[in-house]
Amino acid sequence: MELNGGSVVAMVGKNCVAIASDLRLGNQALTIATNFEKTFPITDRIIIGLPGLATDVITLKERFRYRVNMYTIKEGREIEPETFAHLVSSTLYERRFGPFFVEPVIAGLTKPSEGSVPFIAGTDLIGCLTLPKDFVVSGTASDKLFGMAESLWEPDLGPEELFETISQTLMNAVDRDAFSGWGAVVHVITPDKVITRTLKGRMD
Amino acid sequence: MSPISQPTSVAFNPYAENGGTILAIAGLDFAVVAGDTRQSEGYSIQTRYAPKVFRLTDKATLAVNGFAADGNIFVKTVKQRLEWYRHAHAKDMPLRAIARLIQTMLYAKRFFPYYVYNILGGIEEDGSGAVYSFDPVGSYEREACRAAGAASSLIQPFLDNQIYFKNQVAVSGTSHPKHLPILDVLSLVTDSFTSATERHIEVGDGLEIYVIVASGRSLTELSSIAGIEEVTGSASATDRVFVIRRELKKD
Repeated sequence: MELNGGSVVAMVGKNCVAIASDLRLGNQALTIATNFEKTFPITDRIIIGLPGLATDVITLKERFRYRVNMYTIKEGREIEPETFAHLVSSTLYERRFGPFFVEPVIAGLTKPSEGSVPFIAGTDLIGCLTLPKDFVVSGTASDKLFGMAESLWEPDLGPEELFETISQTLMNAVDRDAFSGWGAVVHVITPDKVITRTLKGRMD
Repeated sequence: MSPISQPTSVAFNPYAENGGTILAIAGLDFAVVAGDTRQSEGYSIQTRYAPKVFRLTDKATLAVNGFAADGNIFVKTVKQRLEWYRHAHAKDMPLRAIARLIQTMLYAKRFFPYYVYNILGGIEEDGSGAVYSFDPVGSYEREACRAAGAASSLIQPFLDNQIYFKNQVAVSGTSHPKHLPILDVLSLVTDSFTSATERHIEVGDGLEIYVIVASGRSLTELSSIAGIEEVTGSASATDRVFVIRRELKKD
């Protein structure tokens, strides 16, 4: 995890979810790139965050795209967030004894006919799922993210309040982490749109 | 038994890590020094009440975190040195002098250190609230706030955000306050510890908050706080020390 660095956080709001990642890609202490997003859209209502070993981040992004496409064709419908979380879990557990070095975070809304219910999940590197009702943190700044999120998050935040909460959580956490930072990207998923904003942060 | 004696190695580790977290915030004319009261070793809780914050004088409190045995001996020795100073000079040692004393005492053991992080809080000679933070070998700095110990990584970014207003932009034409009111500071301290208690296994049980108030300051805000207790040493003291005790989750 400390080879490339990077952090992701997801939070539940009222009829919305947010997921955010930093933009740094490093080789240990040396920063290689400052535009490396660790969040990837899966459907119009699901985004996955993949902090960890960059080579595995890219491999898994492609593998999830392939598996979700196969699911969509076979089932003739879009995948639901909870189903996708289990897909992530089983994909990682396939490599139980030679794991991918990523700790995914999943954020999504259920389909509108089921009420657009917020969904967040996190797994460890071998796919052990956790389904909290408040927030998920992951990556090299996870302890700092825990401290920030635990003190800033509150239930039933609207999209704009949730954006502010997740942004402050991420920015202040990564500013105390040498392996994360260099700006951030934040997505807020609402029933009718996904709001994406790129944040400028400390460049040191 | 072999006739040739084999070399044997004797491993002895003179240090332990006893968990817990401490925190201090300086105000304009006050300082707040807080610590939880859990003491642990590994996954075991040794006691739910082991104070980490100590009143040194009527203008100084010291919080020690890390190896509890070293911490207790260190506080004992600092108190002894302060008593000697009182006998020699017929007054309490000023805060900045205590800070320098702590540095020399820590560095004196540079090659067998006291395994503790120290945070000193109190009132400067000019009446301003001050916080000094130290590493185990005596490197120190005066700051507005500092968290140390097991949950420092959880609390320090929160303090950056709420005390220094990092990553926040003031409404145009206004600026962020340099010092926060005492009740705001106390809320931040309790919030920091309740959050750290939720997410860190070594933090919890109880919270002790020492408040050191400069001589000229009004005490009306403090009198509204439930269960506040004055622990000022001498009746003639101008600066005053109070302690607020709170429960934290015990799981």
